[in-house]
Amino acid sequence: MTGIVEAEGVTKRYGEVLGLNGFSATFPPGITGLVGPNGAGKSTFFRLLAGQLRCDAGKLTLLGNPAWGQGEFRRRVGYCPEGAALFDWMTGEDFVTTLLRVDGFSRAEAVERARRAIASVGLTDASRRRIQVYSKGMRQRIKLAQCIAHDPALVLLDEPLNGVDPAGRASLSALMRKLSAEGHHVIVSSHVLYEVERLTDQIVMIANGRTIAEGDLHRIRELIDERPHVIDITTPDPRGLARLLGDWDHVVSIEFRGPDHLRALTKSPDAFYAALPGLVVAESIAVLEVHSADDNLDAVFRYLSEGTR
Amino acid sequence: MNGGVNGLGTVTWLSLRGSLRGGRLAGLAGFALVPAVIVGAIAITHPAAASLSSTAENLFALLTLPIVVMVIMLVLSVGQFRTEIDAETLVYLTDRSVKRATIVVGKYLGSLTAALVLVIPATILPLAVASLAGGISYPVAVPLTAASAAILAAVGYGGFFLLLGLVSRSALLIGLLYGFLWEELLPLLPGDVPRFTVIFYLRSFLSWELSSGPLSGFSKVVSLAASVATPIGLGAASVVLGAIVLGYLETAPERVTG
Repeated sequence: MTGIVEAEGVTKRYGEVLGLNGFSATFPPGITGLVGPNGAGKSTFFRLLAGQLRCDAGKLTLLGNPAWGQGEFRRRVGYCPEGAALFDWMTGEDFVTTLLRVDGFSRAEAVERARRAIASVGLTDASRRRIQVYSKGMRQRIKLAQCIAHDPALVLLDEPLNGVDPAGRASLSALMRKLSAEGHHVIVSSHVLYEVERLTDQIVMIANGRTIAEGDLHRIRELIDERPHVIDITTPDPRGLARLLGDWDHVVSIEFRGPDHLRALTKSPDAFYAALPGLVVAESIAVLEVHSADDNLDAVFRYLSEGTR
Repeated sequence: MNGGVNGLGTVTWLSLRGSLRGGRLAGLAGFALVPAVIVGAIAITHPAAASLSSTAENLFALLTLPIVVMVIMLVLSVGQFRTEIDAETLVYLTDRSVKRATIVVGKYLGSLTAALVLVIPATILPLAVASLAGGISYPVAVPLTAASAAILAAVGYGGFFLLLGLVSRSALLIGLLYGFLWEELLPLLPGDVPRFTVIFYLRSFLSWELSSGPLSGFSKVVSLAASVATPIGLGAASVVLGAIVLGYLETAPERVTG
């Protein structure tokens, strides 16, 4: 499949520090989440896409064009950077209108598009105020408005929900889904994994500047089934319980984490959970709490990123 | 869509508006008024007309042209790129379809226009104050020539400092060293050394255009055409070079995370 954005072995260095280290991924049409912790290389990747930085090695294309360079194809790309910097002395409407004018739109069309984009991010009431009085959430919204105002085919959103209140997150998430439904392709980054999980199943996971997994979220989850799952158990008799768990084939290791706490690693969490209640009853061992750290995407990410270190 | 023209016009307008705002405008306007304030102070304390006339013209040659105009151009031009690269606002222009060369030209024109709003009053006001306070009637050629020299200075210095802001993180410091050491000291050296300064050509221009008065006494070893063409050439060459540099320049801050 040809991707909207394709990265092949992209490397970007900042002196001796590697921002991206042979990053390869294909971003398909629709919404794709770029997920990784702070410092993983997400913003570096977006800056490469936006033409702010140049790859030191590898190949990066968006909409079939090399990412480094200007040209008409930039009109088909919208970029919402992560930083909060804006032209603070302008009003929101002035800001969006001016950038549309830079892109070559006539004054009338620029004003009309700016107002429409500002309305779509729910900022109409504040559009005539100077950006310097905007809250962090409002600044995110006006950045998003400038990003979509020219109706780009590809929308690049670097941590767009940062600093936005819960209601704002819901509305901006809805806007991203709407953009996708209207045929725009969206690449959205976040270090807050559940946000991306709620937006899309298409995920590219990045850590230490490398791709650690990409594809459908459910397929990514399957990847970690090949790895032991962590289950934390609180019990007044961790040694007694450890002896019993040690007899199970799918338990690969047991670790004592405190006087009443042990951690079991199992290759088969389903079998573990099915058998544990029977064991507890049969052996009369008190189990106060069972907790799996693997129930969310954070765990998927943690497991997969371990492999890149 | 008339993209190129719109883009250039909008970048110019954006740069002009961004340059003339807030505390920076107030500070530069105050600085631009210094020569007029000095002339006014002298007019109050030493109201002799002849002295006031020559003082106003000397101030233009010694203070306004080499220092006031130079500093205004330095502050306005260096910030066009350096400030925006550091603040990460340049990306709003560079991720658009507008050509990077257009951004450079637009920013140059915008900062030049903004500078002229300050530079021309800085040139004319001291003469006007001297004229009003001392009852002096300057020939029209004096303010016209002074204003023309200031515009030439703005064109040359503006382009050079714009380029400096693109290529160096220490542009302001280098610009100050250039302005106060290179431009001030080299003209004092013998031989052809002064030809390597912009002020040499600006002063030559004044001498070619004026036949009498303090502004007419500078060296005329270069032709009038060279006096005009050199500052313009410096500005134009700097802008062309700046356009080439921006075409290859990474515009993100040095170290980014995320």
